[in-house]
Amino acid sequence: MKYGKLGALGAVAVLVLSACSGSATTPPAASTGAGASSAPVATPGGSVGAVTPGAWCVGGTVKIGTELPMSGGETANGVPTANGVKLLISQVNAAGGVLGCKLDINVQDDALNGVHDPQTGAKNMQTLVADASVIGVVGPFNSGVAKAEIPISNGAGLLMCSPANTNNGVTQPPEGDTYRTAHPDKISYIRTASPDSIQGPSAADYLYKDLGKTSVYVIDDTETFGVGVGDSFVAEFKKLGGTVVKRDSAPKSTTDYTPLFTAAAALNPQGVYLAGTTPTGMGLALKQGRTVAGLETIPFVGPDGVADLGPGGTQGATITIAGAAAANVYGTVGSAHDLTDNTFVPAYTAMFGGAPGAYSSAAYACAQIIVASLTKAAATATDLASAREGVRANAVNSANTFTTALGSLAFDKYGDNVHPFISFYKTDMTLAGGKGDWTFVKQESFTDPNATP
Amino acid sequence: MRSDFRGIARPLGIGAIALVVEYLLLGTQQFANALTLGAIYALIALGYTMVYGIVELINFAHGDVFMVGSFLAMWIMTTIFGLTGPVTNLLNLVALLAIVMLATMIGMGFLGMFIERVAYRPLRHAPRLAPLITAIGVSFILQNIIASLFGPSPVNFPQIVPPDKFVILGSRIAYLNLFIVIMAVVLMIVLQLFVGRTRLGRAMRSTAQDREAAELMGVDINQTIAITFFIAAALAGAGGMVQGLYAGSIKFDLGFFVGLKAFTAAVLGGIGNTTGAAIGGFVIAFVEVYATVLGYTQWSEVAVFTVLILVLVFRPSGLLGQQLGERA
Repeated sequence: MKYGKLGALGAVAVLVLSACSGSATTPPAASTGAGASSAPVATPGGSVGAVTPGAWCVGGTVKIGTELPMSGGETANGVPTANGVKLLISQVNAAGGVLGCKLDINVQDDALNGVHDPQTGAKNMQTLVADASVIGVVGPFNSGVAKAEIPISNGAGLLMCSPANTNNGVTQPPEGDTYRTAHPDKISYIRTASPDSIQGPSAADYLYKDLGKTSVYVIDDTETFGVGVGDSFVAEFKKLGGTVVKRDSAPKSTTDYTPLFTAAAALNPQGVYLAGTTPTGMGLALKQGRTVAGLETIPFVGPDGVADLGPGGTQGATITIAGAAAANVYGTVGSAHDLTDNTFVPAYTAMFGGAPGAYSSAAYACAQIIVASLTKAAATATDLASAREGVRANAVNSANTFTTALGSLAFDKYGDNVHPFISFYKTDMTLAGGKGDWTFVKQESFTDPNATP
Repeated sequence: MRSDFRGIARPLGIGAIALVVEYLLLGTQQFANALTLGAIYALIALGYTMVYGIVELINFAHGDVFMVGSFLAMWIMTTIFGLTGPVTNLLNLVALLAIVMLATMIGMGFLGMFIERVAYRPLRHAPRLAPLITAIGVSFILQNIIASLFGPSPVNFPQIVPPDKFVILGSRIAYLNLFIVIMAVVLMIVLQLFVGRTRLGRAMRSTAQDREAAELMGVDINQTIAITFFIAAALAGAGGMVQGLYAGSIKFDLGFFVGLKAFTAAVLGGIGNTTGAAIGGFVIAFVEVYATVLGYTQWSEVAVFTVLILVLVFRPSGLLGQQLGERA
């Protein structure tokens, strides 16, 4: 924890100064309580005794918000992701908190009737902004939700760290600029996952090169994420020399995918790319597509919205919905599978009694970034508002590097991860007692998506 | 309700021509898909049209009755019979399908009667807007009851019909498609016979024509209307069951869009006319599948409602509806 130690040093300096300034007045810089304490040496990794936190720590607690889809068909997405944040909070609190300040969580759910909903997300973001003790937010999960939330967080200067958003337009100009018009120079959003411009082509490479398929049928769910990842998949697959036999868009209200797949099957595709998420129809598309003559055994490939890594039986998980149709399905996840921190998975399993989800480790990393930024910001923070602003400024500073469970992370000027990963998974229906589960295939690392070519 | 066998030659002619055109445009495989989808729409559309015919109420909860039917069938299959996968013994399969369908239809029939009793009958003499609002209320109540019982995520429907296919005209069609179409046609014929040939059917037709006069002739209006709701909901229940078998997963908000399309089918066919509703169901399914075949999936709903608007502009009473002036 590089910044943990630096932050602690900074805090010491402030406390010494405030102690020297006397306690007759109520200085805005630091509380008298902090001045009276012995010099704190707490870091998130380890601590000593009782440390009285600074003035920014009102009531002894600050909160990390989570803004994820937690219910219904999204359970397999949001719950394991939020658990990553809960794990870090419990570890930090067990070690004495951040400079003596305990962490709490403010959980928001953007699922409406079981499916993520941008308007619900925007409302939740306003709730989090209004909760002054929230110093940073982990989320959201879905790109469409992010686009509704970033203008709010940008206006309020509240940091969002998304473990899972992948749509290019969320951060990258010209579209990305339209979401941060309130403070174009003070971005409020960073993300750890690889954007679609990497995830879509990775799936295309995998289908064409690794699986040796030269023709594909592509169907998307008409949403921000689905269309984006579908477009980048199609571009790469064609560039490799493959044929896209048909491209369809079907809204999530579709109740019968059979005619679509029947039309596509007549063109004899060797594979299918499901550009979307399971709750927005790709689960039903997989299930029904498999029943169409000619498509019973060909590989179906999906992005992380399909590869939720939930074993069969988990509520709303792809394998649960598709059942036997989930055999021979492949998926990409915009996060590293093999973590540099090998204590994460055992700690997660011990606390929650199951394997982590696709983005649990990334959410844990986001929370680590918030904690490291808070530790650094505490040096100058005088109240909750300045702590919140300090966390934002430190997290988005492209000069900073954070040590996290995902490895060393840094973000470019748009908030994109400069060293993104893609992990590949496939289904194995013999796992999870015959209900099926995802197995890891391989992972690849990439360079900054915004680096000038 | 004008659904006796007199004058049925014209609708049958229209239906036959429509089917031939559909087949030529779609080809065997997609024709089978359109017929299956049409059968499901038709089963629901019949309920809209019967209820409208007799009490002049657009029962907006009907789509949700269909959805509840699919959940009831799912519950019967999994909880009572413990079914999870395909049943390979043909005799067992037929028996199971018959029992589940009968139980679902009876269960849903009573639900339909119950809804009519508590939500519509007390408002029978209220302004027309009032029962419309309660219908929307019932729709929300049904959705939320199912969402709280089974959760808001998609729920698996046991695929008890094996996914086997047979070859016809060079295309491989699943036996399930055949079953759904045959079942729907049989139910429609039974309905026609019931409405056209039985005492209760005659009571329904007379109530639809003139409630007061029917009452003076000794028809029990309350009973007749209750039976109409029973039949409408039972048909929706059968539709819900086949939707589950066909799609393989069901969801609490399934009834909204399917119900809207079935309602469109009923209006298209001429609301109040049962034969029209059946034909309307197949026409709507055909338009939807044809839009998909042409590659305009995103526009399939637009196409469906465009057809509705065109029909209403040029034939306000629907394909088979009669010009009835004010009352229609």
